[in-house]
Amino acid sequence: MSQFVYVTYIYATPQRVWDAITKPEFAHRYWMHTNVSDWTPGSRWEHRHGDGSGKVLIDGEVLESDPPSRLVMSWARPDRSKEPSRVTFDIADFSPGLVCLTVTHDRLEADPAMASSVAGGWPKVLSNLKSFLETGACENIWLTRNKEG
Amino acid sequence: MSDLTNESTVYVIYVAATPEKVWEALTSSAFTMRYFFGRSVESDWREGSRWTLRMPDGRVDVKGVVREARRPHRLSVTWNVDWMEPRAPECLVTYEIEDTGNGAVRLTMTEEHPTAIPRAWLEGGRKGWPMILSGLKSLLETGKPLGLPTPMPPKAANNAPPKG
Repeated sequence: MSQFVYVTYIYATPQRVWDAITKPEFAHRYWMHTNVSDWTPGSRWEHRHGDGSGKVLIDGEVLESDPPSRLVMSWARPDRSKEPSRVTFDIADFSPGLVCLTVTHDRLEADPAMASSVAGGWPKVLSNLKSFLETGACENIWLTRNKEG
Repeated sequence: MSDLTNESTVYVIYVAATPEKVWEALTSSAFTMRYFFGRSVESDWREGSRWTLRMPDGRVDVKGVVREARRPHRLSVTWNVDWMEPRAPECLVTYEIEDTGNGAVRLTMTEEHPTAIPRAWLEGGRKGWPMILSGLKSLLETGKPLGLPTPMPPKAANNAPPKG
């Protein structure tokens, strides 16, 4: 698999979706981990473990940043053992109060293990993001993830 | 029309609900009318029974046969769009409802095409399922549907409304 695409519709503004992805204080509540960067093109970003250790699980470069509608970044293993892949968040104002969020994770050809992992992970992260923004509650899915490893 | 495909469409979504509640949302008109573009479902949901998806004005949108019904974990139905000319080959839609054990359910929708179809026709499902199932999730978690507009049928098909 060279590409994974996931679309979901969320009762929220584009800004709230942008903040939920890019601000650690929000991301840790539904993603468990956090995304840390100044989110300007060319900057480094880090996907850090949410257990307080700050361990970098994934990192990369911010390739495009157009808040609150589009964010593109490379997605690399910190040890650079494989070619990085790429993640694009498209946050579209679909109708008043409703966002269509499309996550495209591509350039995965060189890393089949990563392809398989993100295909399982994105539906969890984005289901949780939707619950978090619509209801404020979302812990259940991460308990699932822990159980599954 | 030259590019034919047997590719499936798979959509996974996690819903904070019980498997029974998700089953009910998929099989009861009281729910489907609120998230499935105003459409209602009819069937006794027994294997071998007919099922129908009706538009808000009562016309048949989709009909088929219940292939597999294991409440509340697995429902598989044949899917024949009733108004398309030329008629699209029958496809198979399967819902798998897995209890994650933590108050959330993993719902997996698989749309299979045993007979190859023009690739453009996949777009209907690929655009529609995320809307439908995002709406199901919102409805079960918040009590509010998403109120999305009905997507247009694929351009490759004659999309004139059915007569009568």
